[in-house]
Amino acid sequence: MDDLEKELRPLDDLEDSSDDNSSIGIKKSKLPLVNPICEETLKETGFHRSTRGCLEQIRDALLHHRWQEAAEYMACYPQMLENTTHSAVQQSKELIWRISTEILHHHPNSRLEDYNNIYERMKHSGVKHYLMICLEHSFHLMLNGHIEDAKHQLSVAESWRHGKESAAQYQNTKLIQAYRSLLDYIIWCDKKFTHSKTDHHDTGDNQDMHSYFRQASVNLKEILKNPGVWDPFILSYVEMLEFYEDHEEALKVLNDYAYDDTFPPNPNAHVYLYQYLKRHNATDKKLIKVLKVLHVLVPSHELMLEYSSLLLQSEKKSDHQKALGVILEMLDFACWRGNLDVWKRLKAIIQKLQLQEDWKDVVSEKMAARKDWWPALHFTRFHASKDSEENPELKEVKASLTKILCPDLTLKYSAG
Amino acid sequence: MDDEHTAGFREPCAQCAAVDWGVSDEGRFYCRSCHNVIERTREVVDPNFTPGSTRISTISRGSRTKRPERGRQWMICEGFQFILRNQADALLRLGVSPNFKDDVLCQLWRLYLQKSRQAFTHNPVTSSKFKVRGLDSDSDSAAELSVVSANETNLSCTAESNAESSSEWSLCSGSVDASSYLSARLRRTRGLMSMMKTLALIHLALIWSAETLTLSDLLRLVNEGHVPYVNAYEELPDEMKLEGKDALIFRVEAVPSHQTVHKEAETLLLFLQLPAFPPVSRQSLLHPSLLSLRYLMDANLPDELHLWVCRLVERTGMADETLHVSDRLLRPVLPRYDVQAAALIIVTMKLLFGLDDHTEWDLSNQTGDQDDTGDLFNLRRWYRLLQAALIRAQQRRDRRIARKQWKAKKPLYDNKREKYSMIKNKRIAEQVQSCFERLSSCPVGVDRINPSSFRFCWGDEDGADGPSLHQKKLDGVVTLKLDVLTPLNSTYWHPALKACKLRSCSSHYSEVEPTLPRTFVWLLQLFSFLLDVKPAYLYEEVLKVERRAINSKTHRRKRRRTRAKTPAETKAKTRTRTQRGQENR
Repeated sequence: MDDLEKELRPLDDLEDSSDDNSSIGIKKSKLPLVNPICEETLKETGFHRSTRGCLEQIRDALLHHRWQEAAEYMACYPQMLENTTHSAVQQSKELIWRISTEILHHHPNSRLEDYNNIYERMKHSGVKHYLMICLEHSFHLMLNGHIEDAKHQLSVAESWRHGKESAAQYQNTKLIQAYRSLLDYIIWCDKKFTHSKTDHHDTGDNQDMHSYFRQASVNLKEILKNPGVWDPFILSYVEMLEFYEDHEEALKVLNDYAYDDTFPPNPNAHVYLYQYLKRHNATDKKLIKVLKVLHVLVPSHELMLEYSSLLLQSEKKSDHQKALGVILEMLDFACWRGNLDVWKRLKAIIQKLQLQEDWKDVVSEKMAARKDWWPALHFTRFHASKDSEENPELKEVKASLTKILCPDLTLKYSAG
Repeated sequence: MDDEHTAGFREPCAQCAAVDWGVSDEGRFYCRSCHNVIERTREVVDPNFTPGSTRISTISRGSRTKRPERGRQWMICEGFQFILRNQADALLRLGVSPNFKDDVLCQLWRLYLQKSRQAFTHNPVTSSKFKVRGLDSDSDSAAELSVVSANETNLSCTAESNAESSSEWSLCSGSVDASSYLSARLRRTRGLMSMMKTLALIHLALIWSAETLTLSDLLRLVNEGHVPYVNAYEELPDEMKLEGKDALIFRVEAVPSHQTVHKEAETLLLFLQLPAFPPVSRQSLLHPSLLSLRYLMDANLPDELHLWVCRLVERTGMADETLHVSDRLLRPVLPRYDVQAAALIIVTMKLLFGLDDHTEWDLSNQTGDQDDTGDLFNLRRWYRLLQAALIRAQQRRDRRIARKQWKAKKPLYDNKREKYSMIKNKRIAEQVQSCFERLSSCPVGVDRINPSSFRFCWGDEDGADGPSLHQKKLDGVVTLKLDVLTPLNSTYWHPALKACKLRSCSSHYSEVEPTLPRTFVWLLQLFSFLLDVKPAYLYEEVLKVERRAINSKTHRRKRRRTRAKTPAETKAKTRTRTQRGQENR
């Protein structure tokens, strides 16, 4: 009897579960819940009620872009800092910092002094946010053109030590060092510019410029050893090194940036290396080598055109075939669909390939994977009408290629 | 930024001989190259810097021993005395008669001090080292509370005992007996003073002197800042230094609710063992008949309704009973005039309009059809006006609460450790506040609302909440039947009752509320807003009034006919619908 019951029970479960599945069951939501910051707690004093109400009003005003009202309530909010519970005070410090800067960004009467005032106050309000606020402050000064002040802020921040806290925030410290070096570079650029304008060479200025370069380069060298995406810093460093004609160092830096495995894959690294090499008249072989990696990373990059031309110029037949592959892969992406240069290059490659006997096999091999979807991508009647209106030359080029690329199919894309 | 503060200081560092100074968070100078901290601190140039509570007090010579940097010795009850005096003065400025302060409040305070054995007694409750003079104190000079005079010597220690006691003077508070005040032993006796008790004491004094300030009025004045309560300790004289544990006694961050103060007043009544209160005459504005007139005006209800409210007052027997405060020694009951008046109005409206979500709208439709002149009171129109005004007033109140500043200019700190960080935070707060005040060109601080007995303003002036409906006639709701004014509505509903434990249940409103008609709930909310109490509180009072009305024996036996010009008594038939039998007696 027990066994019978046991056997029957699973059937019931199945029926129940199927009922659940069929009906609109109440499923527990797996979406993350937002932690409300304005929540009424059980034991709330008048003070807590006031500050909570104030925060709600500020939030409402911010969301509706009523900046004047937000500023008025923000004037009433700082009494939260005098709260006797420390955890609430810590949270409110960050709130006040972020909300104040947001209001200052949008309020019509805000001036730079207000920004400076708020940043200075909130900086020294606690140790957790000191570095972040310093960074933000200097960004703001940078964006408003006060480069010297920004640099001063970052230098002060760099020399800040607070025991364990500063050790724990070492990532922020790295950022600060990096941006300080960037600012040094900017000042160096300014000095270089003014220096080149004047006719006589003032040794004092020169020294100044060199000192900035030295400060910047010391830091940048250190920073660039850390894995990361450091594009603007690399460019500024390389520019400075080029000016001082330290090509070895520049090449080394660029190579490390591009080929170091610990760094995240960054196509820009290869672009910078390629541009540098091109500037310094490197051999085609070297250039091809760099662009090969870029091709793997970003087949639709605009430098692929140059890559294909380089490959075309070489003597090896395999390179020509590779060029065809490169261009076809470029055209796989819709962004190059209407580009005349790319299609012209394709035509040139095909023409060069036609000098070989087995060109048809080569072409069909490359087009094998694409036969299904290329006609829809490039050769429909819609494209025909659009191209004939906008770019008749493109239409000609494309029309001439239809028979070659897709010999079996009858396409609606015809010249005329 | 550091250069401004270290400007001019060009001494080489002792350890590394570099001249590169910075200023740390605490304001101390340190060498940037070797991080050596020196003793020099930054001079504060900040004009907004507030020095905090350690100010140098006056030095004077006299028989009383004073420490120049610490003021004089004072006891907690002295502090409360000053606060009470300031509160009473504020009330006098608002129009309360001086009799309240001089005759009533002073006596109550002295009685309290005696009962709690803090003064006027042979065995004081605090340290026995302090010799206190007995009851042969000068009662005339005692009336002069406002002078720091020999009166104080009644309560403070005599000069001779200072030598021994000063060594025991607690270093953790400005007052002498704060730590013993907060001790468990004394707290158990529950006789000690607290900030909330000052309000309870004032409330008792107001009732005794039959002032027309109800408890909800008093609390509204406190909320609006007309009567000092939050940060009242700031107005204590300078010689009385507040530090340390005093903060736990004198610092408040909330204005207590109506219910809390009322309970506290009842406890105080029991503690003080007062005799029977002087009776409240019918002419007094605290009497429900007249107090309800005030609330009727505030709620923009027609004046004719007042007649019906008076009838209800007589029927429930509250006309007589509220004439004196019950002096049952075991459980004194203080009347809640304001809440009772509001409950009476609600029950009257329930009688006349039904308030069951159908009857009142039907009556209102009929009135709308019949009325040609526009003279009749139409509930729908009234509801629309009031709802709009209520929403506006609630929004105004919420905004006022959001803007309210609670922290004092001279804050109190519990212990020294957190004092410095709190001072720093306060400075930051002030800076941010002034920055935004300048930005928005709107100074912080609630606008001082002129104190008023009324929440709404009805009429045709600018700034009124709406047109006045006080002159409308109730002809749409009542008719003449056999020469007697009778309401058209003849049914009455009552929520389900059940037996519940007397002590443990506070209010069943939250459970019952979803089943109540919406009009009734809205009416509760309206009057709760007017009085600033919770709807549940008002609901319980409504139930009490209904119980009285149903149980009263007057309506069967006595048939009173008035000779006045107004029509004779009503004969509203009421049919109560209790669903479940037992009533809780």
